Amino acid sequence: MSAAAPDPGPDAGRPVLEVAGLDVDIALRRSAVHAVQDVSLAVAAGETVGIVGESGCGKSTLGLALAGLLPENAVTRGSIRLAGRELTGLAERDLRSVRGAEVGIVFQDPMTSLNPTQRIGDQVGETLRLQRGVSKAAAREAAAEMLDLVGLPRPREQLTRFPHELSGGMRQRAVIAAALICEPRLLIADEPTTALDVTTQAQILELFDRLRQTLGMAMLLITHDMGVVAGHADRVFVMYAGREAETGLTADVFDRPQHRYTAALLESILRMETQRKSALYTIPGRPPDLTAARPGCPFAPRCPAATDECAREFPPAGSDAGHRWHCYHPVPAADSSPEVSEAPR
Amino acid sequence: MIRFLSRRCSQAVIVLLLVSIIVFGLTRLLPGGPARAILGVHATPTNIAAFNRENGLDSPLPAQYWHWLSGVLTGNFGFSYVLNQPVSSLLAQRLPKTAFLAGVSVLLAVLIAVPLGLYQAVRRGRADDYAVTTVTFVLYSTPAFWVALLLIDVLAVRLHVFPAEAPQGSFSAIFSDPGALVLPVATITLVSIAAFSRYIRSSVLDELAQDYVRMARSKGARRRVILTRHVLRNALSPVVTLLGLSLPFILSGTLITEQVFNYPGVGLLAFNAAVAQDYPVLLGVVLVVGIGTVVGSLLADIGYALLDPRVHYAGDAGSAR
Amino acid sequence: MSLENVTAALSGEEHAGQAGAEAAGGRLWLRAFAGNRLAVAGLAVVILLTLFSFIGPLLYHTDQIHTRLSLETLAPGAGRPLGTDNVGYDQLGRLMVGGQTTLEVAFGAAAVAVVLGVLWGSAAGYLGGLVDGLMMRIVDALLAIPALLLLLFLATVFRPTVLILIIVVGLTAWLVPARLVRGEALSLRNREYVLAARTMGVRTPTIIFRHIVTNSIGTILVNATFQVADAILVVAALSFLGLGIAPPATNWGAMLSDGLNYTYSGYWWLTYPPGIAIVLTVVAFNLIGDGLRDAFGLDARRA
Repeated sequence: MSAAAPDPGPDAGRPVLEVAGLDVDIALRRSAVHAVQDVSLAVAAGETVGIVGESGCGKSTLGLALAGLLPENAVTRGSIRLAGRELTGLAERDLRSVRGAEVGIVFQDPMTSLNPTQRIGDQVGETLRLQRGVSKAAAREAAAEMLDLVGLPRPREQLTRFPHELSGGMRQRAVIAAALICEPRLLIADEPTTALDVTTQAQILELFDRLRQTLGMAMLLITHDMGVVAGHADRVFVMYAGREAETGLTADVFDRPQHRYTAALLESILRMETQRKSALYTIPGRPPDLTAARPGCPFAPRCPAATDECAREFPPAGSDAGHRWHCYHPVPAADSSPEVSEAPR
Repeated sequence: MIRFLSRRCSQAVIVLLLVSIIVFGLTRLLPGGPARAILGVHATPTNIAAFNRENGLDSPLPAQYWHWLSGVLTGNFGFSYVLNQPVSSLLAQRLPKTAFLAGVSVLLAVLIAVPLGLYQAVRRGRADDYAVTTVTFVLYSTPAFWVALLLIDVLAVRLHVFPAEAPQGSFSAIFSDPGALVLPVATITLVSIAAFSRYIRSSVLDELAQDYVRMARSKGARRRVILTRHVLRNALSPVVTLLGLSLPFILSGTLITEQVFNYPGVGLLAFNAAVAQDYPVLLGVVLVVGIGTVVGSLLADIGYALLDPRVHYAGDAGSAR
Repeated sequence: MSLENVTAALSGEEHAGQAGAEAAGGRLWLRAFAGNRLAVAGLAVVILLTLFSFIGPLLYHTDQIHTRLSLETLAPGAGRPLGTDNVGYDQLGRLMVGGQTTLEVAFGAAAVAVVLGVLWGSAAGYLGGLVDGLMMRIVDALLAIPALLLLLFLATVFRPTVLILIIVVGLTAWLVPARLVRGEALSLRNREYVLAARTMGVRTPTIIFRHIVTNSIGTILVNATFQVADAILVVAALSFLGLGIAPPATNWGAMLSDGLNYTYSGYWWLTYPPGIAIVLTVVAFNLIGDGLRDAFGLDARRA
């Protein structure tokens, strides 16, 4: 079943996921965090979009919002359309039939994502039982197939094992299997490899690429790692302070970064790769406090090119054939040295 | 699992030995030693010397301990000169009653506290959570004997619903008058619910914050499924260990309750023995209750191991529980 | 021993402590604590009751030595806001005197328990191996005997005074802090700075104090707070069993249990004031303990 080519369906060609003007506010005791502001993006079937940003930039909140998993104190505005169907404003009961069935999520830490007291087989097959009401035996059967697909050795033996009996990489494969068992249209992977060692990271990312192609899913890869995006995303969406900073084809953004923040991010991996300096390059300053709504470009306080203009109003979008950025002082062409323009692999 | 069991059992044996040494040591703590303990406060020094000779109490301590321990192991807990009965037969009469009282109360407390704690956790921060938390907090901070006497004041004295005195006589007499059991059971249950539900509430809250709960939500599980299939088991397995560990606490509460309601269990036996300075009986109760607690917490640990698969792999004593 | 403590005991061995709390160090916890309204209210209640008990008698003079049977069980009225008790003591003044012993014993016993427990637990956890095994089995064995039974025995041997009560209650209560601190020590002993200290030849007692105890301070402080609450209840229970302090000295537990003999006579002022004082104090200490636990970021199931 899993190897079958995906049915293009009536809305073939239409993006699986369309997000327009999405805002997420999280209410705290006295204030509110504007975790996501005015985010618009689209992901087509078989495509991977990488969402990149520092921790606290709202990328995980965005992922949770798309899966309808936000905590109760969160308010969402804007539009999230999955295969043409509007998800915002949907009742919890309807959202439940979307989660797992149409949207799968893989979280960061495979050590804690699995229930420690339940067998792998039951956890992987659970979505099928919940969404399709299949029998326990059938769910196990499907789980075994799925575990095979994600590359777990001796899948049948794994069914009766407990999470603590598996290594980190194997656990993450099991989590992926659980997220994919209903063959969702969209897979959201939130820092799926951050908790894993380097070799396993590469394996898991390759697995994602393979599964995306076999299952024809749309995929949202949330990460802080530009290197991961470079190798595995078709398009990239750079987020800063809950907002879009820059987005476009990965090649375009890496070749000709326009936003100063993107350039800084690229600079940081470049320095790491070439080891030009022994010290790790970091962007000076800290990400802004998202409780305080201030006008202007949120990156301005850390930006070397910032002027007074930057503090006044959020920069309007500049664009060039699907490449879009929000910066008053885009990186001039000469500034992108040949080294930077090489997208590191 | 086998390794865990064998290690845990050998630990329990060591603990039991230590309990016996402690109880043996307590007899030495008495002014005048065990002879005074056994013969009572009015024994003369000559009596004591004679008694010591007769019972090998002038031999070295290890020998005395061995002599005492082999007696205990064959069911000889000594003789109560106050009640004129072997301690073992006193214990045999009283123990089942205390076990029954404590058992029923704890069972009830768990049956009420688990859903209550779960409910509170789910309703966290809402008015009803606060209300229950406040009541349990106050109950938890109230001396058990006052709870008992308030119950008596309202339900026995004013409303005449239940008698204030527990059923007397043999074990079967307990069942002949179940109404008289209500207040003693209610006292221990109330005090234990207060403590248990607090623990269960925070345990469930802890589990609800875990990633696997979010994972279950992302599969489209409804809240009830998440609670029953995922959270409950993880939140309750430590409760089993908690039960084992809280045995001494529950028995302390039972001692008070037995005293208030004149319930003829080991608690009342120990209390009366303390008043009459009837040390063989008092120490017999200490020993038996100590053994019961060790065995109880061993059983609880085994139960926990059965509930939580992670224990199979636990390497050292630390992570085993 | 209360369940708060029992649940704590669970953890001592579980997951080898929560030494992560050290990260919350500095003065951050103080601010977090100050932001917890319930905990601050608890602290206020404790301060008020302490002032009431120790400063109160300086402002409100009553004879708490000589019984005056002619004045027994008078209802509250002018000059005696809470009436008199069954031997003619002014009840409000008695509440102050009783409060003194109650708080002295509670703080004293908690101090004894915590000091003993910290010494024992940090040594066991730091030394590890067989020594640790034996030390912790001793704790298990003592923990197996209900504290009240042990106290019953000890109270028949020693005539209870404030000092004896402090020692006796403290001696039955140190087991839980011992377990907790041992758990901390187990996880701290392999930290780099401890290993570094060991390599440099720092003496074991110094390492235990400087690194193990200091870094477990959150756990210790939280448990100490719960110990005070526990001690008040234990002393009340002992008084009820007739093993409390001898008159004319008294404590709230003794006042409450004495008063309970008159429940059916309608002398409410004999029971409710001391009873409420006990509940109020215990609730206050538990609130403070909860607040500290949250402020230190400790796990509710463990601290």
